[in-house]
Amino acid sequence: MTLKFELAAGPFKGRTGGLSWDGRSMLFSAVLEERVLRFDPVTGEVTDYRKYTGRTNGIAVAPDGSVFGAQEGGRRLIRFLPDGSTVQTCDLLDGNHHNQPTDLVLDRRGRVWFTDPHNLVLPFGPDGIFPFPDHTSVLRLDRDDGRAWKLSRVTRDTKGPRALALSSDENTLYVADGDLDHGTGPCTLRAYQIGTDGTVGLGKVLHTFGAGERGIEGLAVDHNGNIIACGGSAKSGAGPAVHVFSATGQVLVIHPVPADLPMRCAFGDAGLDSLYLTTGAGQLLRARATGHRGLERGLPPAC
Amino acid sequence: MAYTITLPFGETVSMEVDMLDSGGEHLFDAALPLEVVGRDILFGEGPAWDRRNRRLYFTDICGDTIQTWCRDMGQQVMISSSGHANGMCMDREGRLVVAGWGNRTVWRIERDGTRTTLASHWQGKKLNSPNDICVRSDGSIFFTDPQGGLFNVGMVGDDLQKYLDFQGVFRIAPDGVLHLVTDEFVYPNGICLSPDESLLYVNDTREKLIRVYDLNPAGNVGKARLFHQQTHPDPGIPDGMKCDAEGNLYTTGPGGIWVHAPDGTVLARLKVPGHPGNFCFGDEDNRTLYIVMLGWLTRTRVRIPGAVRW
Repeated sequence: MTLKFELAAGPFKGRTGGLSWDGRSMLFSAVLEERVLRFDPVTGEVTDYRKYTGRTNGIAVAPDGSVFGAQEGGRRLIRFLPDGSTVQTCDLLDGNHHNQPTDLVLDRRGRVWFTDPHNLVLPFGPDGIFPFPDHTSVLRLDRDDGRAWKLSRVTRDTKGPRALALSSDENTLYVADGDLDHGTGPCTLRAYQIGTDGTVGLGKVLHTFGAGERGIEGLAVDHNGNIIACGGSAKSGAGPAVHVFSATGQVLVIHPVPADLPMRCAFGDAGLDSLYLTTGAGQLLRARATGHRGLERGLPPAC
Repeated sequence: MAYTITLPFGETVSMEVDMLDSGGEHLFDAALPLEVVGRDILFGEGPAWDRRNRRLYFTDICGDTIQTWCRDMGQQVMISSSGHANGMCMDREGRLVVAGWGNRTVWRIERDGTRTTLASHWQGKKLNSPNDICVRSDGSIFFTDPQGGLFNVGMVGDDLQKYLDFQGVFRIAPDGVLHLVTDEFVYPNGICLSPDESLLYVNDTREKLIRVYDLNPAGNVGKARLFHQQTHPDPGIPDGMKCDAEGNLYTTGPGGIWVHAPDGTVLARLKVPGHPGNFCFGDEDNRTLYIVMLGWLTRTRVRIPGAVRW
């Protein structure tokens, strides 16, 4: 089956990024416009969900109707609340500010897993007050017993984690690692077994891209446990593409994408069988009737 | 990995002055002593000299404190948490008026220590993040309201959502009513009055310029005039800004503090080391320039005293 991508919205100024299906519409980030937008798949209408997002990229709709955001510009995870306000969570890892979070995923227990690489665009505020950590890792945001937010470091072997996803049973964490913009190739797809306490060991490399290949920028998992990975560039390797991997890392199919620099991907629409894609040129693309079906993770009912 | 420079605490270093026009020698020697009097400041801002109590107040935005310094007592934290307070100014009644930045309000510390919120919303929407502030002798308060306190790392408060579609300059009239002065700035930052209070100066960190407005007794301004467009390549941005008693305008900028004659001519640049964020005049004769920066509180001496309003 081929994926036929069509322009759903855009182009916006600069790259588009994070995607999250809220049960009836697709939220997506226009990162550099500092907006999160809402695409209505029935009418095709695009409206503002939130302005002035501080370069929020990754987004995840929570069951309570709030939306978690990875704010690249502010080096923090934030929550857009239904009343229109925005609050921060915890932005300190062991007392220090972390890097620039870019992709996140919310699990069924309410924990937020996120990638925390460096970014080409510097954070907001004067340089030099808060040094960057000496690692680029997957981090996790939990609430402690007192309902206060707390950050912990998850991976110890990543060099530039850019995208992540959880398996259907949430026992496996998939991470796209390697960041050519910061000289940490080759790019890989890794799988980590998650312990009962939320810790992971070393990742198992499921796939290694060629030297100089851009690798994966966005990840999703389908109902059958396949890993949907978008990435690549016109300059190298197979070009801009969506790779479909089995859970063990076997490449099942490679779908070319008719736009350069795919950024993130997510399933949406009634039946969760459309695949949405954001791009370096600021588009929202959609391929309908993909033959895959996305995962439900206890999202609120459509309203 | 420390980005702030290291200065010798308790000692005095020499600070060069670039004389950029013939008027500069009237104001400064070619080198000035820079005394390092305060330390352990993440991001120093908001210096204000309290003439009655002969002490300096300043903020550490990221350290979330308001601190005080005087020669006899040294450096002490006065308020923690400060809501990531930023610019400050004394009013004529000896009260400290605070541009609240992370907490999105303008507030005042009364003489009994209680705090009064003076402004929090414009037309029903929360302000962005009040940055710097000055008080006219009739009690009118002018402040800038850019958005950095909603986004900057380590500077934000409870609500990070920007609601206003502009970055304003505001005036709180003596009767407490908030007025919009102008919405024409991209990132309004430093703000001060000329000694006779007929001019209002506002700088813009992003556009790297200073605008000046005629200001009438009612508090209304005329059309903006471009006072200076900064083009120098050195690192450093327009931020804190003050006038001296002769109407010369001091502003942080590339490579230090730039000093302009009232007609805009650049007279001199104080080559302050590191990253100075703001400064104020102080001490009995008002001829000490207190400069706060990433890491440090310093002070130097100048010939012309600062403009006084109390």
